[in-house]
Amino acid sequence: MTRSVTANIRSLTITIALAFLITSIGVGYWTMVASEELGSDPFNPRLVAAIRDRPRGTIVDSAGNVLAESVKTPDGYQRRYTDRSLAHVVGYASFKYGAAGVEAAYADSLIGQDPGDPVATWRARYLGERASPGAVVLAIDPKVQKAALAALTATGKKGAIIALDPRTGAILASVSLPSFEPNQVVDPKTEDIAWQQVNGDEARPLIDRARSGLYPPGSTFKIITGAAALENGVNPDTKVRVDDPWQADKSWGDYFVRSSSHAHADFTLADAYRLSENIYFAKIGLQSGGPKLAEFAQRFGVGTAPKCDLAVAKGQLSNTGALDRPTIVADTSYGQGELLTSPLQMALVAAAVGRGGVMPTPHYALEVRDSSGNTIRTIAPGASGQIVRPDTAAKITQYLVGAVEGPGAFAFGAKISGIHVAGKTGTAENPAGPPHGWFIGFAPAENPVVAVAVILENAGQGGVDAAPLGGRVMQAALGR
Amino acid sequence: MSLILRRGDELRLLVWVAALSATGSVAVAAAEAATFDRRQLIIPIAFIALSIGLHVFLAARGIRGDQLLLPLACALTAIGLVLVERLASNLLEQQLLWTLIAAGAFVATILVPRDLTALGRYKWTFALLGVLLLIAPLLPVIGREVNGARIWIGIGRVNFEPWEAVKILMVVFFAAYLEEYREVIAHPRRFGPIPIPPVPYLLPILAMWAFAMIVVIFEKDLGASLLFLGIFLAMLYLATGEAFYTLIGLVLLIAGGYVVYHAFGHVQVRVDTWLRPFAEDLRFDAGYQIVQGLFALGNGGLFGAGLGNGMPDRIPVVWSDFVFNAFAEETGFAGAAALLAMYLLFVYRGMLIALRAPTPFLQLLAAGLSFIVAFQTLVIVGGNARLIPLTGVTLPFVAYGGSSLVTNFMLVALLIRVSDVTARMRGTA
Repeated sequence: MTRSVTANIRSLTITIALAFLITSIGVGYWTMVASEELGSDPFNPRLVAAIRDRPRGTIVDSAGNVLAESVKTPDGYQRRYTDRSLAHVVGYASFKYGAAGVEAAYADSLIGQDPGDPVATWRARYLGERASPGAVVLAIDPKVQKAALAALTATGKKGAIIALDPRTGAILASVSLPSFEPNQVVDPKTEDIAWQQVNGDEARPLIDRARSGLYPPGSTFKIITGAAALENGVNPDTKVRVDDPWQADKSWGDYFVRSSSHAHADFTLADAYRLSENIYFAKIGLQSGGPKLAEFAQRFGVGTAPKCDLAVAKGQLSNTGALDRPTIVADTSYGQGELLTSPLQMALVAAAVGRGGVMPTPHYALEVRDSSGNTIRTIAPGASGQIVRPDTAAKITQYLVGAVEGPGAFAFGAKISGIHVAGKTGTAENPAGPPHGWFIGFAPAENPVVAVAVILENAGQGGVDAAPLGGRVMQAALGR
Repeated sequence: MSLILRRGDELRLLVWVAALSATGSVAVAAAEAATFDRRQLIIPIAFIALSIGLHVFLAARGIRGDQLLLPLACALTAIGLVLVERLASNLLEQQLLWTLIAAGAFVATILVPRDLTALGRYKWTFALLGVLLLIAPLLPVIGREVNGARIWIGIGRVNFEPWEAVKILMVVFFAAYLEEYREVIAHPRRFGPIPIPPVPYLLPILAMWAFAMIVVIFEKDLGASLLFLGIFLAMLYLATGEAFYTLIGLVLLIAGGYVVYHAFGHVQVRVDTWLRPFAEDLRFDAGYQIVQGLFALGNGGLFGAGLGNGMPDRIPVVWSDFVFNAFAEETGFAGAAALLAMYLLFVYRGMLIALRAPTPFLQLLAAGLSFIVAFQTLVIVGGNARLIPLTGVTLPFVAYGGSSLVTNFMLVALLIRVSDVTARMRGTA
């Protein structure tokens, strides 16, 4: 006897009903559960809908200058940006290509739904009432920003400069070159061509080199090597013999560490900082040992992305994340090996030393205001715990002042008359061409109010070229 | 008995459809312009008149049986018209014209086959017609290519997707053929637990199905091939109750899917965009449509943004492929779930008609037709909600498109006819 068609119809109907149930659950997931995440995706046009249909909040710098605002055009509202040098920080809010930078990170605040104002957010979500948007105030100091732009532009090179306040972590200036014109990206008449252009350009102008560029830190990393050595029993005053070239033993084969000054002399830690002596740091790095060096690098944030209101690239300590061979310990000790860090990260390293061993948490925005100018939320993320001892930080500060002011110091270009500057140059060998030039530093050395990182891609001369740029930016921050 | 009373439930339900159509249309109009334009009411009024016309026609013809399917189909069509008005108002006139043609097709299907049970006798004619329709798009002069798929035939300004009609012909043919041979096919000799299918008897339906598959694969229509496979397996199961056939079918689907995946670039792209639509290299490219579709769903919440207040217009070709997401964005999960419930109710009523039908042919016919609606809904909504890869089938009655609307109204007419036969044989209304 064949199973009746009736019975088959019943089972098929039940199967169909189950499939409808599963489908409804799927739809429920996207509409109810994933909606939060989808709604905050920077490419979600709803997030930037306010650009076209409603005025969006303004973005201003710390002096109150407008950096981004909505202007009315016949096709609706459009964003207008006033400072191309801040294209990477302020970002853009395009109806078609989504948002970036502060425009993306503070998208909720800019449409009047700041998390600091739950009532407005609730009313917007459930009652459809839009609070009129306020403003996001950035920590950017126009004087410092202007100095940074002028300094970097004058070199004619690709690169980045970032300056921050070590006391608060507030970003005072950030320039990345080459840049792009955000007004073209948001203008419906030019958006497609501009988008293709910036994405097709091999110089990658869309990348904010200050926070998303990753470079070998070169000799600026010696700050970390020195801190690890000081806290692991290395006596800074012991003379260490340097003979160029150097290898620990024959097992290194034809691999040698080379001295930038072809030195054949005895070095203390102070001398080594002043003359940026690779062989000295390779030796004390090996003395601390790979695990200790790795631990200190991690304490300074190497290999992790710092907590920040804008996304910061995560660098690396090595390809494997560990320092497990003597040669990579030696190479890492003077900032080569497989290290990669962002300029922002290195500015934080300088800031941590200047602040006596406490690393501030970086932030681009200072506060969010409502439409009547009242502060809704203050952004003050604080700082890390003690990452190195205060006496370690004090000693390194002293050496870094020597590296700027001492006889024959590489970072002499960063000097500012009347105050002490602490700093370190770096020359980062890289496969892309001539070495990159680095400078990181802070001032005044005793009680810093500004820390800076400079990277000049394929600079030729290396760190010596970068130091004066850092000096000029810090001078602007000090109001001198 | 008076005309009205004969199909009273149907008329009462159509009042709700009228309310749905009018409020939807007014809501969309109000969201777009501050001032109310009286002409906006012409569309719902025309549609309501058409729906009630169909009801009066059924009552006047003395058709008995199901009174829920027509209001459901009309409600879904009303939602479709509101959404076309909302999403592509330049296509509204054309869609209204197609609705008129669909109503004509409905009337014709009620009138023409005088004896529904005799339909099975012409099964080979239907099979031949199906074959001709399938290859028609490949013929010169009438065949047309739209958006890279050559699945259209056109006469003058009117374009038609023949596979939409083939799906109904296929069900009629399968129902008739399987009624005749189901005893043989359902009792395979067994090799242990494994049935050996009686290949000679399966051959005609296998051939019909394989031909359809080859043609739609050749015409690059993934949705149609999936639908044909679904119909084939469902009908085989309905006739035989042999789950093993379904199992073999699913294995064939996976194996076939694997081969097709590696053989055709466009299939790889489909699968890729399903698995990782948000990837950097896809979200502005092949994944753009599904990503925008998911954004629309995400904006839905429980009660939605309100008709006219969402941004579903950011989804490319939203009015045909992603109309469900547009509806879900503006009416929320509540609206989307209600829409799915309407489809499920439609399918349930269709299956109920199948259960009560007096002959295996009519049972298979009604169940197969209901299955089409269920399967198409599940495949497109599943694709829209990224549960399965997206394929180009239409959301029945709601999505913009004439061929689909016309054939779906013929489908409703056939289901009503089956229930009419049952009611007459049982002597009840």
